[in-house]
Amino acid sequence: MMLALAEQVFNGVMLGAIYVLVALGLMLVYGVLRVLNFAHGALVMLGGYLCQFVFSHVIASYPLAIAGSIVALLPVGWVLERGVFAPLRDDLQNQVIASLGLVLVIENLVLVVWGPAALQFRLATTQVLVPFGPLRFSLQQFLVIGAGLACVAALFAFLNFTKFGTAVRATAQHPGAALVVGIDVGRVHAVTFAIGTALAAMAGSLLGPLFLVFPQMGDGPLLKGLAAIILGGLGSVWGAVIGGFAIGIVEAVSTLVIPTDYRDAVAFIVIAGVLLLRPHGLFGRTTRYEA
Amino acid sequence: MKPRDVVVFAVVTMGLLLLPAFYGRANYLLHILVLSGLYAIPAIGLNLMLGYTGLVSLGHAALAGIGAYAVALLTVKAGLNFWLALPLAAIASAAVGAVIGALCLRLRSHFFMIVTLAFGLILHSVMNNWDSVTGGAAGFAGIPRPDPIGFAAFRSLPEFYRLTVVATAAVFAVQALLVRSQFGRVLDAIRQDEILTAFKGIDTTAYKLAAFAIGSGIAGLGGALEVSYLRVAAPSSFDMVESINLVLIVVVGGAGTLLGPILGALVFVGVPEYLRLASEYRLVIFGALLVAVTLFARRGIAGLFAPRRAKTA
Repeated sequence: MMLALAEQVFNGVMLGAIYVLVALGLMLVYGVLRVLNFAHGALVMLGGYLCQFVFSHVIASYPLAIAGSIVALLPVGWVLERGVFAPLRDDLQNQVIASLGLVLVIENLVLVVWGPAALQFRLATTQVLVPFGPLRFSLQQFLVIGAGLACVAALFAFLNFTKFGTAVRATAQHPGAALVVGIDVGRVHAVTFAIGTALAAMAGSLLGPLFLVFPQMGDGPLLKGLAAIILGGLGSVWGAVIGGFAIGIVEAVSTLVIPTDYRDAVAFIVIAGVLLLRPHGLFGRTTRYEA
Repeated sequence: MKPRDVVVFAVVTMGLLLLPAFYGRANYLLHILVLSGLYAIPAIGLNLMLGYTGLVSLGHAALAGIGAYAVALLTVKAGLNFWLALPLAAIASAAVGAVIGALCLRLRSHFFMIVTLAFGLILHSVMNNWDSVTGGAAGFAGIPRPDPIGFAAFRSLPEFYRLTVVATAAVFAVQALLVRSQFGRVLDAIRQDEILTAFKGIDTTAYKLAAFAIGSGIAGLGGALEVSYLRVAAPSSFDMVESINLVLIVVVGGAGTLLGPILGALVFVGVPEYLRLASEYRLVIFGALLVAVTLFARRGIAGLFAPRRAKTA
């Protein structure tokens, strides 16, 4: 029993690392652009497909395939930001509706191009099992956790220790004031959305070899990512990190006590509960009537 | 309500009721119109929330599912007459909607949307997994067509078609009366400026809750009719994709217009059938249409014909 628990906690941390990546992308884009992007999961999925494509058709190197996926996804993100979200700035309701439309477009275009069948994305090198105490996990699982933590560290350093990162935080706090002190808000928005897109590509590339690559593969991570930023309170990096890992662990451990059929519901029961008891997340601050 | 509008409404309804007399053999056309009506009814419920009150609910299909499973259980397991089960199903949906609404309405804007999405997923998860009651993923089969009332039977396609026309017309009329009533004006005011409305001494949360419950009840009615038509309740009819489809129908048709949900449903069901599109292309096109509407035509298809509404906030 303890062993099973330990195994599920490890699995939860691994799933949590994916959710953290997704949550950070959502949170950055929400915090800076004030866009709640439901199409983020579709970007994760597209990132998985692109990584699989690069790996099996261009160059059989996983790190380069991840890089390729990120590079290929950036223009997609740029088009979404410029073409859809920028014109709808400050119109939350229509942004959400438009992003739902984008989900339909992206998921079904992928269906047209790659077909409905799930793609295999097997990496011989990362399937190797590594002993970890009495348990054994695949190298891919360690890779996911490592990459997740590295991205968190990089993002934290960027936001806190670089000049542009400071500009990003300033824009998040008050776009008008940022503009007054000479920050190019449009550029900050573009770069922030690009970082969010890159994080989505990263999450998709890490998720692909774990399971399979299929058109709905981004739905779960999107929903859990949303859950994570709500749990952590929108707008804080650490909130998203803790929220993501918490959702991952709760979800994995719950499979020990509740039928696995309900595992997706578990995360949402937690979220509904948290939001109702602490409407601004576990670490959020209270503001009334935010638009 | 202008007398002219009432006349147009009556004439169109009568015309649709007479359609099978002329196209009695055109079963395919009637089937498409039935499906459109069965999408239009929950969409009208969502329009009251999304279009008139400004409450973007992303779990609306799950509330239609409550009505669907309620009618299935009441007619098959409890052996109730369909016409008794139908209002009970709508009431069940409205009650569940009221509870969920009361919880979700504690939150605003994006939080509200995410929690409605979460409740939709939870309800769908229950429908999909509570095998002993709902039949699980395989669905709940053997739901009867409505029992006959006097001369009127509802078994065949033309008969069910007439029922769908009457039901859609009735729900449409309820929508028209509601939005033009004092109640509807308050909902409109809440959408435009909730804080200002609250300053007028109006309990905005109570009004939003009422809109949520009425919208859910209408959705339940649509869900109940749908499973009675299809003879089976499947959880996939009430999942997140279907909830998004309902948003799509309302927004593309014209959120906050009386005809919007019906036009949206006709376009959503009819156009892909007419063009013989594969389902993935259909959703690519409708997804793009949804984005285009938010960018360029806020009032949807209905807004292209209607005179511009006075500009507000």
